[in-house]
Amino acid sequence: MPGYYDIDDIIMEEEPISVVFQVGAHGVGLLDPGSETNNVENGAKVDLPFWLAHELYLRQAVSISVPACFSQKTRKEIQADAACVDLRIRCPYFYELGCKIVPCKVSDKSIGSFLHYAFTGRYKEILSKSHSASVVTVPKFSTRLTKEESQLFEAARSSMLAFKKWRLGGSRLEKASILGRKRKTTIPACPSTP
Amino acid sequence: MAGQSDPHLSIFSAPELEFLAEDEMVEVVPNIRMEALHVICGDFGPFFPQIAKVPLWLALALKKRDKCTIRTPEWMSVERLTQVLEAERESPREFQPLPFHYVEISRLLFDHARDDIPDIYMVRSLIEDIRYVRFHKVETGLETISGRTHAVKLKNLSAMEVNIVRPFMVRALQAFYKHDSPQMIQQPQTMGSRRPQVVDRGSRRDLRPR
Repeated sequence: MPGYYDIDDIIMEEEPISVVFQVGAHGVGLLDPGSETNNVENGAKVDLPFWLAHELYLRQAVSISVPACFSQKTRKEIQADAACVDLRIRCPYFYELGCKIVPCKVSDKSIGSFLHYAFTGRYKEILSKSHSASVVTVPKFSTRLTKEESQLFEAARSSMLAFKKWRLGGSRLEKASILGRKRKTTIPACPSTP
Repeated sequence: MAGQSDPHLSIFSAPELEFLAEDEMVEVVPNIRMEALHVICGDFGPFFPQIAKVPLWLALALKKRDKCTIRTPEWMSVERLTQVLEAERESPREFQPLPFHYVEISRLLFDHARDDIPDIYMVRSLIEDIRYVRFHKVETGLETISGRTHAVKLKNLSAMEVNIVRPFMVRALQAFYKHDSPQMIQQPQTMGSRRPQVVDRGSRRDLRPR
């Protein structure tokens, strides 16, 4: 669950979003690399991190445009085959970002159902691949998952691997790794005192 | 102990679950006479060379010291397991009733009481098959959950099987809940007629026909 202290949430909010300024802003020309003066014009298109864009949106200073990862191209790819799309390259926080953008009244209202469709499609793949617990199929597939999906995947896979490891047997007590190192005998060869 | 590892993942680890399974009662036939054992959880009466019911941990401890033979539980016979396997294969949505800790008990007995079980290879392969068929059923059931699922009911599932799917299922349900809930309200003009359904409970995704 997202929250103030959640690391994934914090990193996710760093994702850049392109916004269009509705008002002119003075003294923050830093944000717009294309401006000559130290101001941002009204109507300028700027890339801001999500946390800033959200705050400015609440003050009605900007309007948020749809990020590139929800473009038509991605939609068509997901409709073709949801499981093969490499979402991590486009945006590793695909779902979280989408969920945060939905209440921002972005022009495109169908993002929510699109996310749901994409997730349902990929969920089936995650389900089958994560529980098979074979080492071969995993690396290719898991690089395509977003952060949230890979947490799901890892949870299933680690519990499956733990079960298999238990099933192979062995004692329940594990030897501490520090005891495994060979220790050199430190008896110096000193002459015995007479 | 439980909870020391990543708290987001499974509550129990597999060895912990095995430890809990050792509280189940089994029947043993001691080889020797011994007076009563008084331990914290109770007294285990004087041991004569006749059938006694003891917890599994005590049975394994006696077995390791060669003081008893363990009688195979009656559900672990080849006929009974073949019946269970047939029934599992026939009903694609139901699970057959099996002892709650059957996976752990069978593994412990295979490891320590190998000579006490008749037809051990057959029993072992049957239990593996049963486990595989049941897990496959769980997976097929999981494919059908969606955002409307409020609860997933898995009747007769055993402890180890529950433990394996627990982190995945919890996370998946959370993710579906997150994706599905606000979107319905987001588009009131197209889905106006569906609005009342958001507050009702939604369908229960049983893995057992009602």
